[in-house]
Amino acid sequence: MQLQQLHTVWLQRLNMSLAILHVCGCPIPRFFGARLKRPRTLINLDPANDELPYECDIDVRELVNVEDVMNELELGPNGALLYAMEYIEVNLDWLITRIRRATAEFAVPYLFIDCPGQVELYTHNEVMTKITQQLTKALDLRLVAVHLIDSTLCVDAYRYLSAVFLSLSAMMQLELPHINVLSKIDMVMDHTDDLSFSLDYYAGVSDLSQLLWTLQTTRHPMSEKFKEFNRLIAELIEDYGLVSFEPLDIQDKECALRVLGRCDTANGHIMNSEKVEDPSDPVSGVRLFQAGFSDAGEFLDEYLERYEERLQQR
Amino acid sequence: MAASSSADVKIPKSPVVILMIGMAGSGKSTLMHRMVVRLSKHKKVYTVNLDPAVRNLAYPVNIDIRDSVNYKEVMKHFGLGPNGAIMTSLNLFATKFDQVLNILNKRAENLDVVLIDTPGQIEVFNWSASGQIICDALAVSYPTIVCYVVDTARCVKPVTFMSNMLYACSILYKTKLPFIVSFNKIDVISHDFLKEWMEDFEKLGDALSRETSYVASLSKSMSLAMEEFYRNLRSVGVSAVTGAGGEDFEKAIQEACTEFQESYVPFLVEQRRDLEEKRKASVEEQMKTFERGLDRAKATNKRGRDTDLDQLGEDVQNLSIEERDYMMDCMD
Repeated sequence: MQLQQLHTVWLQRLNMSLAILHVCGCPIPRFFGARLKRPRTLINLDPANDELPYECDIDVRELVNVEDVMNELELGPNGALLYAMEYIEVNLDWLITRIRRATAEFAVPYLFIDCPGQVELYTHNEVMTKITQQLTKALDLRLVAVHLIDSTLCVDAYRYLSAVFLSLSAMMQLELPHINVLSKIDMVMDHTDDLSFSLDYYAGVSDLSQLLWTLQTTRHPMSEKFKEFNRLIAELIEDYGLVSFEPLDIQDKECALRVLGRCDTANGHIMNSEKVEDPSDPVSGVRLFQAGFSDAGEFLDEYLERYEERLQQR
Repeated sequence: MAASSSADVKIPKSPVVILMIGMAGSGKSTLMHRMVVRLSKHKKVYTVNLDPAVRNLAYPVNIDIRDSVNYKEVMKHFGLGPNGAIMTSLNLFATKFDQVLNILNKRAENLDVVLIDTPGQIEVFNWSASGQIICDALAVSYPTIVCYVVDTARCVKPVTFMSNMLYACSILYKTKLPFIVSFNKIDVISHDFLKEWMEDFEKLGDALSRETSYVASLSKSMSLAMEEFYRNLRSVGVSAVTGAGGEDFEKAIQEACTEFQESYVPFLVEQRRDLEEKRKASVEEQMKTFERGLDRAKATNKRGRDTDLDQLGEDVQNLSIEERDYMMDCMD
């Protein structure tokens, strides 16, 4: 699905759980669920989720299901989703109990939570914010929001900025540390001629002047009118180190682990590194050392190599 | 595609196509109804509904996606949930959008305004390839403007207002078309406080700092940038229920049209061939995705039987967009 998806990573300090909220259709839970050896609990918080491509440990659809709500209350899909989310909020104990039970045996529990993608939940409806706040309080969680955007829809400067605004919009409401991810980067690679600026930009090696230059030289009626606004926004992004994107190609393990590594830094899981035994886990001592020395550019070169290899094997 | 394949053909000045975009609950469809009633008193209005999941529409529709694509059937045959089904329905419709343009071309001489209602799931339209296909196809054929509908009552909290306006930016930068923000429901709460916030970033800054502290400093810096945005933004306050602000709305449309003629037309005419090729490629991509989905459904053989799915596949290939037989001047 090409819907923008919002993920939140929830981390609990000291024997508490880390969670990554993930939206339906997104491959991350499938990947992490299957291949990551880190002990984790997968939770589906989307009452309107389609078929789940992964096995989850806790499924909120057992509590409330959007299709049922639609039928019983004769609401449309949006109304039903909002109703379902508010229902979950009111009955949050259901979820809290189950999370406690599921994470009881883990030394360093880690939660992945799949969240609904409806933008209304992250702009003017406060139900998601209330849910995250209540869960944080009850379970002592540290949360990180992971926001996934389909990179094939961001291939020119204007659309890229559009994605930036989207992320900013959600950041304002959720009030959580935020990681932005451009997914399906391998599909963008297939069409590099269409890109108006280099892939480095996507890797977060953000060059402010390049973005501005691209915007200003794009021959479009908007460029003149919004020249000043573009400049101010670009400055804002740079000053605050806001919105840098992590590229993600779900078929590339290194890529996915790198994103996970970023999450771990943002939510503090790296503090638990000595408790982690698996050396392939991004948080383990070994990898932290490696990560410290690699910069985005290097990562991108290595990724490109692996991508080429995969292409040849096809 | 009829007229727009040749670069010599100009973009006509009429009809004006207005894309109504807004979040669920913003009052988009109600506003659309109100505008249909208002405008048809002195203009010839045509309506298109792109929301496959809407139950009842108060206004008469000329082209309705629900006539061509059955959203419940899509849910069943593909084993999708409500969101997936809406997305897929729109994708299917978008692959046949040139038929819509053909119908519009035939009617164009006798039309002044075309109002298009988009799905309530705003992201289905904005963050999908099909939304892009539809927008781009319209923009090179007729003066197209975007009307972003906002629920004023929900903007009372400054953070929510900022969030909403950032979302508006996102849509503006995505569609790259003349833009009107309609603050709806002014019968419930006047939008004067919003006008104040937009004109004076310090007032907004104060309101923000009284709110939450986490995003306070970020919001303040952002409000400075946003003030620049508001300076170039066309906004009106309306009430779909009472009809208030109708005149302002019409004026804004006029201005947006002029903007389109003066700034956008030269650019779009040049880009037309390019955009047309991209659109075709996108449509092919969509058809392939659909076929893959169909194959997958067959393979897993979930809820539909093979024959049903074959029929569905055929129906899609032959999908034809119909026009309902509403008389243009026959509106309440």
